[in-house]
Amino acid sequence: MKRSQREIRSVEEINEKIKRGDAVVLTAEEMIKLADSSGIKVAAKEVDVVTTGTFGAMCSSGVFLNFGHSDPPIKMTKCWLNDVPLYKGLAAVDGYLGATALSETQGFEYGGGHVIEDLVSGKEIELRAESYGTDCYPRRHIETVITIDDLNQAILVNPRNCYQKYDAATNSTDRVIYTYMGTLLPNYGNVSFSGAGQLNPLCKDWNYETIGIGTRIFLGGGVGYIIGEGTQHSPQSGFGTLMVRGDLKKMNSRYLRGASFYRYGVTLYVGVGIPIPIINENVASTAALRDDQITVNIRDYGVPSRPDLRPIVSRVTYADLRSGKVTIGDKEVPSSSLSSYKMAREISEVLKKWILEGRFFLTKPVEPLPRRREFKPLRIRRKELRVRDVMRREVITAKPDDEVKEVARKLVAKGIDHLPVIDRDGRLIGIVTSWDLAKAIANDRNVLSEIMTRKVITAREDESIDVVARRMAQHNISGLPVIDEAKQVSGIITTDDISRRLVGRRLTI
Amino acid sequence: MRVRLIYSPEVVEKPVLAEIIAKTGLLINILEAKVNAQKGELVVSIPSTGKRLEEILAMFREAGVRVQKVTKVLQIDYDRCTSCGACISPCPTRALRFGPDWTLEFDEEKCVACRTCVNACPVKAITLL
Repeated sequence: MKRSQREIRSVEEINEKIKRGDAVVLTAEEMIKLADSSGIKVAAKEVDVVTTGTFGAMCSSGVFLNFGHSDPPIKMTKCWLNDVPLYKGLAAVDGYLGATALSETQGFEYGGGHVIEDLVSGKEIELRAESYGTDCYPRRHIETVITIDDLNQAILVNPRNCYQKYDAATNSTDRVIYTYMGTLLPNYGNVSFSGAGQLNPLCKDWNYETIGIGTRIFLGGGVGYIIGEGTQHSPQSGFGTLMVRGDLKKMNSRYLRGASFYRYGVTLYVGVGIPIPIINENVASTAALRDDQITVNIRDYGVPSRPDLRPIVSRVTYADLRSGKVTIGDKEVPSSSLSSYKMAREISEVLKKWILEGRFFLTKPVEPLPRRREFKPLRIRRKELRVRDVMRREVITAKPDDEVKEVARKLVAKGIDHLPVIDRDGRLIGIVTSWDLAKAIANDRNVLSEIMTRKVITAREDESIDVVARRMAQHNISGLPVIDEAKQVSGIITTDDISRRLVGRRLTI
Repeated sequence: MRVRLIYSPEVVEKPVLAEIIAKTGLLINILEAKVNAQKGELVVSIPSTGKRLEEILAMFREAGVRVQKVTKVLQIDYDRCTSCGACISPCPTRALRFGPDWTLEFDEEKCVACRTCVNACPVKAITLL
């Protein structure tokens, strides 16, 4: 889409109309209807402002807090609110509470996002702090209770909010996975997506003609400002983001909700609404974009790679996703959102009301946001262990028609626990463990093919140790055959091999 | 009518459900099943009402199976629910959906109380009764 066009009206003119009470303000949904019935030219001429809204999980959110000084004073080096740790690399009684910080006592059940919601609701919060004590800050300990009213400042500063759109998620594997995109059922059992699509602020000013640094917005039920591009801002590919700030004391817990994603972690649902001044026809036409014009990739979260490397299994639009079913290959798959369209719509209506009542005026940005930004992955420069560095290459294998007793003897002689079973062409077709053999002998079974496990969990040589260790833990097994694309067994990797190699190194699984 | 059938160790190996289906010809649908050597628990949907339903439930009781009618199973706290939709597509029986104004709606009849939605809800708005 092209930028620049003849200006129809300025932000100053719009604000004059708001003051006089005769500005024409439509929500993005109303704008779409008007543009569909009367055309963009008419809509651009008639409408002064289009209001937008979004309400979704926004992990890069948090709040700067100033507690005020106690007597005797303390230089807090560690600090917790309801057992959730704050970032304390700031001055004595300043801290930053991030939305995804986990409670040290409640884990995934409660975290930074919940503390923010509880603060906004006016609830009492337990404050605990520690210090080493200095001449000027002799106190070493604090345990007390605060509410938001006790704080000097509580400023929401979110480094990344309001994604323009977001790839949808599905799962090709044969087990349920729990992700930041919610519960994903096996074998493409469902699709989950996020974003308000046709109501989403950054979709409605696609070319960043009106949104920029200094833009006044609806944030968490109060008034906030855009303070710059968000982290990972990538507008050229339709993944723009915003950094925003606002006074938490004036916000409303209806629009700031602590949330837990099962077996994933905690976050904060944030409500954001941005007014789009219809300054020209180009802005009018992006403000009238419909769900069926905004495309989204569906990616396979069953592949444990970084987001942009997860395979794209389907390309759809927000309209498809919101219809409740999409197609992947020849399969019809139920889809549902993680962000609330209902709340997004409510926010666009609240913002419209504020403007119509003359309580909210538009701002012209002091600087536009970048329209191109490189989005790089993190390159790992140090050598990291892969399966090929840890696996054992001399693999003892068996054939399906081998005798159980013969194989058991082999296992005992070699002191191993896992025996891949291969066919005549060397392809993996099963596995037996020493436990399987013990059971087989107890039950008088004679041939391997009767007792082997045919559905074998495997590894590839280039996989990371963390991924493979997690796979073993999930399936509660202690060894995996390593295979290549032709299913030829090139090695075997066991939990013993991993722990032997990793002594002294921290392994997170 | 959804009914929970609880099998004691004495009857868990008997084909009680199959016998009743064979005898009545009713298409009793198994919605959920947990069976092992010690006990069994099935949630089934019986396509009948009133007196006929009571007769069928009596047949299960006579065979030594405990019967519980599954009425209200889930509660949605609409003060907490944001109608985000995170519970909808994971629901295996399509008991959750959006209404015309994008408010979350729940169809009691379809629910088998599997808990998937309870876990999927980011704001803990759903409880199993």
